Amino acid sequence: MSPAIELANLSKSFVVKSGKGLNRESKEVVAVDAISLEIEEGQSVAFVGPNGAGKSTTIKMLTGILTPSSGEARVLGFVPWKERTRLTRHIGAVFGQRSQLWYHLPPGDTFELLSRIYSLDRDKYRQRRDHLIEIFQMSSYLDTPVRKLSLGQRMRAEVACSLLHFPRVLFLDEPTIGLDVIARQELRELIRNWNRDEGITVFLTSHDAGDIESVAKRVIIINHGRVVLDDRVSSVKRNYLDSKVISVKFREEPSGIDMDGVETLKSSYHSVKLAVDTSLVSIEAVISQVLKAAPVADITIENPSLESIIAHIYNQH
Amino acid sequence: MTGLSKYFYIASTSAKSNVAYLGEVASRVIFLAVILYIFLRLWQVTYAETGASELGGFTLAQMLWYLAVTESIILSAPRITQMVDRDVRTGELAVHLIKPMSYPLYCLGTSMGERVVRFALNLGVGLVIALIFVGPIPLQPLSIACLLLALPLAFVLDFLANFLIGLGAFWLEDTTGLVLIYSRITMILGGMLIPIELFPEAMQSWLRVLPFASIVYGPAKMLVAPSTSALTELLIIQSLGIVGVGALVAIVYGIASRRVFANGG
Repeated sequence: MSPAIELANLSKSFVVKSGKGLNRESKEVVAVDAISLEIEEGQSVAFVGPNGAGKSTTIKMLTGILTPSSGEARVLGFVPWKERTRLTRHIGAVFGQRSQLWYHLPPGDTFELLSRIYSLDRDKYRQRRDHLIEIFQMSSYLDTPVRKLSLGQRMRAEVACSLLHFPRVLFLDEPTIGLDVIARQELRELIRNWNRDEGITVFLTSHDAGDIESVAKRVIIINHGRVVLDDRVSSVKRNYLDSKVISVKFREEPSGIDMDGVETLKSSYHSVKLAVDTSLVSIEAVISQVLKAAPVADITIENPSLESIIAHIYNQH
Repeated sequence: MTGLSKYFYIASTSAKSNVAYLGEVASRVIFLAVILYIFLRLWQVTYAETGASELGGFTLAQMLWYLAVTESIILSAPRITQMVDRDVRTGELAVHLIKPMSYPLYCLGTSMGERVVRFALNLGVGLVIALIFVGPIPLQPLSIACLLLALPLAFVLDFLANFLIGLGAFWLEDTTGLVLIYSRITMILGGMLIPIELFPEAMQSWLRVLPFASIVYGPAKMLVAPSTSALTELLIIQSLGIVGVGALVAIVYGIASRRVFANGG
């Protein structure tokens, strides 16, 4: 089987002008630097990197909106920037901060309009719509204008809309941005299940390390336009996602927290920031120790930032 | 569904969306009422001072009905340039480009849907105001038919001109200045405030063939003085305008989209 997405030395550089008036200077900025990779049909891939790493630029080239400076790419056999119109029928895309839903109309109306734009067969369309409404749990707000929906509901509708025309590849550009923890988890599960049940190829970009674990089987980390790491999520998880960061604010000065696998990153009068190596000690054990140390005012558990993971990767190589 | 029908569906969705959000749409109607009242007073003075019962072939009542239509046309104009500007600057363009549709036609669809709703509301209110202040004017079925036939191409032409300016967003920091110039020219040379008949003799002949008058004056005149020959002439001028401005749009959009594909949305 030929891969669903192929990139060979794909590069994109932009000319950025700086300065004012006559002193304007042109500078070439490389956004994507000779990326080569293959993604099998049905695979789900997380394309992650910090802001400005070249994720969106890559998605834009793969959806045919942007022409690369050099290199080649094929999506489902089409060269995206040359055969964009034909490709549009086979791919779906969600851009996290941009909406395809009509703001003053309920999501149901956008479904209807999209069925027209993609010239879907009426019966096939109705079946598909009902299926999507069920899976994405949209029936309770199908007739509510989009402007009254929560961001989580809206994003579910966005993803459902982009699946209406039976695409074989789904591009998701930062779909979880701005969502709260629960909505984020719901959306990740929906995307993961859809990928598993329908066999659609999923290409997801994110700058949130949490998206790596939950959605994809394979993770590609990019930084400054280059692939830093391309591996199975399970091994990335083992090697780089085995730590959590706990930030605690105490009401009183705490007694010291001293455990194996716990490192104090920062400590000031009433608050501490701890790095926990979850392969050595469980989060629960650390939390109960924290609660004993002093009355707690606030506590957050986070994944390590992508920047620190990337630094970790660079250090190892 | 093939070809152009999807764009009609886009227009009807846009109309529905504007009906759903009538609050903002209606705010411009208040403005229309104020303007009409001011002009009524101005024209009352003008007619009284000159002692004429007709000016440029218009009675006072006809003048106000004419104004109700021209103001409705002008005030129903969708903010197309702002829409294009926003799409270009925020990258929202990407959302449209990944669909099997033409972006200019998509914009045409949304703008027509919006305009129909706004115009219908404006005209309804405008005519009620005219009716209250100056009473009815003799209307034949032909007047209404001619008005309705003169409007679609006028709206398309106005869209194309605005879209052309909107495409400036690909190069310019800000297109508001150009929009202001275009809209003021349409208001003045298009005959929104005073009908072409009241312009100096020398200007009238070229004002009539300019596209501005075919957007504003042309359709409004149909309500007051319908005529099939005038309608035919108007439709020809509108069609020529659409072909001309449409060709410009096609060329500029071609250049602009190459720029998008090179630099990103």
